[in-house]
Amino acid sequence: MGAKSKSETRVSMPADCRMADVGELHTQLKSALGGSQIVLDGTTVDRVDTAALQLLVVFQHEARKRERQVQWAGVSAPLYDAASQLGLAEALALPAKKPA
Amino acid sequence: MSSISIAQFHKVFFEESLEGLDAMESALLALDDGGDAELVHSIFRAAHSIKGGSATFGFPDMAALTHEAESLLDQVRDGRRAIDKSIIELMLRTVDCLRGMFDRAQSGQPLADADSENLKQQLAAAVGHNTPAAAAKIAAKPAASSGWIIHFRPHAGMLAGGNDPLRLLRELAALGQLVVEAQLDRVPTLDALDPSECHLGWRIELTGAVSQDAIKTVFEWVEDECDLTIEPLVVAAPPPAPAVEAVAAPAAGAGGAAGTARNAAASSNDAGSVRVAIDKIDGLIDLVGELVITQAMLDQFREDFDASRLALLQHGLAQLARHTRSLQESVMGIRMLPIGSVFNRFPRLVRDLSQKLGKQVKLDLVGEHTELDKTVLEKIGDPLVHLVRNAIDHGLEMPDKRRAAGKNEVGTLRLEAFHRGGSIVVEISDDGAGLNREAIVAKALQKGLIKSGEGLSDEAVGELIFQPGFSTAAVTTDLSGRGVGMDVVRRNVVDLGGNVAIKSRAGQGTTFTITLPLTLAIIDGLRAAVGGECYIVPLVSIVESVQLPADAVRSVTGGGELFRFRGEYLPIVRLHQQFGCADARQQIEEGLVIVVEADGTQIGLFVDELVGQQQAVVKSLEANYRRVDGISGATILADGSVALIVDVAGLIRLQSRRKAA
Repeated sequence: MGAKSKSETRVSMPADCRMADVGELHTQLKSALGGSQIVLDGTTVDRVDTAALQLLVVFQHEARKRERQVQWAGVSAPLYDAASQLGLAEALALPAKKPA
Repeated sequence: MSSISIAQFHKVFFEESLEGLDAMESALLALDDGGDAELVHSIFRAAHSIKGGSATFGFPDMAALTHEAESLLDQVRDGRRAIDKSIIELMLRTVDCLRGMFDRAQSGQPLADADSENLKQQLAAAVGHNTPAAAAKIAAKPAASSGWIIHFRPHAGMLAGGNDPLRLLRELAALGQLVVEAQLDRVPTLDALDPSECHLGWRIELTGAVSQDAIKTVFEWVEDECDLTIEPLVVAAPPPAPAVEAVAAPAAGAGGAAGTARNAAASSNDAGSVRVAIDKIDGLIDLVGELVITQAMLDQFREDFDASRLALLQHGLAQLARHTRSLQESVMGIRMLPIGSVFNRFPRLVRDLSQKLGKQVKLDLVGEHTELDKTVLEKIGDPLVHLVRNAIDHGLEMPDKRRAAGKNEVGTLRLEAFHRGGSIVVEISDDGAGLNREAIVAKALQKGLIKSGEGLSDEAVGELIFQPGFSTAAVTTDLSGRGVGMDVVRRNVVDLGGNVAIKSRAGQGTTFTITLPLTLAIIDGLRAAVGGECYIVPLVSIVESVQLPADAVRSVTGGGELFRFRGEYLPIVRLHQQFGCADARQQIEEGLVIVVEADGTQIGLFVDELVGQQQAVVKSLEANYRRVDGISGATILADGSVALIVDVAGLIRLQSRRKAA
């Protein structure tokens, strides 16, 4: 759920973050671009697929284009592994180290 | 926004795989009878499809088991191993085990059990390796190159098709070391993005002793859904340091599998489906086209019509009637499936049973292509199984007895399906000993079903075995003595609107003839008027209709009425009382009594008059209104009014309940 402080928008990713359920995340990410600072929370993600990761990549692209700052509040191991496997870790600006 | 879930494909996967298992079983049995090498290929193909599908749809236990079976089949296919009884037996057990797994998958239970693990180990032992890891065998194949460059660009629809590149890359990672570079040049804006479409591509460097075939196998299921090139890695340099991306992590994959299995259970409650051949659909579209043309033609008459064009109008109407009839037939045809799908289970049943009993049986299947309504088809299986079991257990004799009787040691069991009139006939015949007349008569006497066996015709003796609780088996084996008798077989068939007859000749064999209606969706009925209402009485239940004089009917205590019909007293059900119709005829001599029969019981239905015969398209009353006792459904008459269809068996049950009360 996106909870807004002044200009920081926080988007928490659901535990099951796969194609069937990314509709809401898509909506949240779109509205998050309204703020200047966006925090992505991927700590609780335990299932993720290419569709969801693609959505995040597109979001990062868009955020960079619009000069928004995007930070990761946390990345779960499944999210990290899947992004790395698909060669998307860099595009997603994931932290360099795999979470424990 | 998209809500596509892989679970929606589970049902199709289950259906196709179960068909694949049937095909595997048939081919294995044919192989057992000395079939040719092509059979091995077809068994291999079926196993391969199931393996691929189960891996794709998140059933790793199933994939692992099938993988071992496939490896064994591969050895047979390559000629590295000769097919023998033990392999066929092992494969047949695999088929059974997979059927069990599919059952469990559909109800959302864990797939693997002790049996399947045991079987997997036996298969692995037969193959000659004890490492069941799916990738092990592929990776162990001789290398053709020290590495490969793979360009992989999924088509937009690949994700929606249920194939996730993540899974493919994980499979690649199991083959060797990967350097993955994602290509993001085609991604749309966030607003324009449909998350179910794939806009990513990958350049993948795979290093290791991997054959090109092994890579192709990974992409086998998506080859139509992506652009794929696989080139040898030109630089024979030492393997590059593994990049961060190369870390393979199957943990999330396993979690995902459990999730999809649960979804499968949720979707398995859907109504059944029918897969329809394309040419049937094309035929329908053609017919609808004709109908539209005819309608356009008739429409012209609305604008300007004079008597001179009457002939044209009549021609148009005749055409409309013809097309409507063809359309009706074609639509009914969609529900029609070949009876072969039911027959297919018998080779295995006969093989197992005859082995168990020490009998030799040759099974002849004739007319597998005869088509039956899907609903009828689903319900006819059990009665047929019962009859086939009976034929082998009771009908066919042991080889030594057959020899002594001057017959071939191998008994013949024949299942034949064919059209006769508006019905489908299924015959189950054996060349065994025929009905044991003495045993049946003795048993019937003991049960008090008959007073004496004198003068009973063969048909009458045959009829006795359909009586409830009748069984002459001296020893209850696990074949007979299941508490299910021929009476249940007959009831099941009668419930479908059909009947069973028996013909037996001592020493020559027995034939059971099952006659079934072509479809349950349309019935032939008589239209009867009751007050201002119309009721349809199914033709199959009608014995005859009689006009009774007033003194032919006797009232009995408790309010019932009886009349004498062919030496028996039958109860009368006045439909106007039963269904509360106003303005109906009250005097017996003014109306008609239709004698109907169901479950071997006859009653008389009192109606005003018979209007005529008609085909009724059955509509569910339950779906449109609610269940009504004594009514099986409704139909729409030519004038648009609704007529209810009388449930004869239901009325008889009501009547006997009333009598008991």
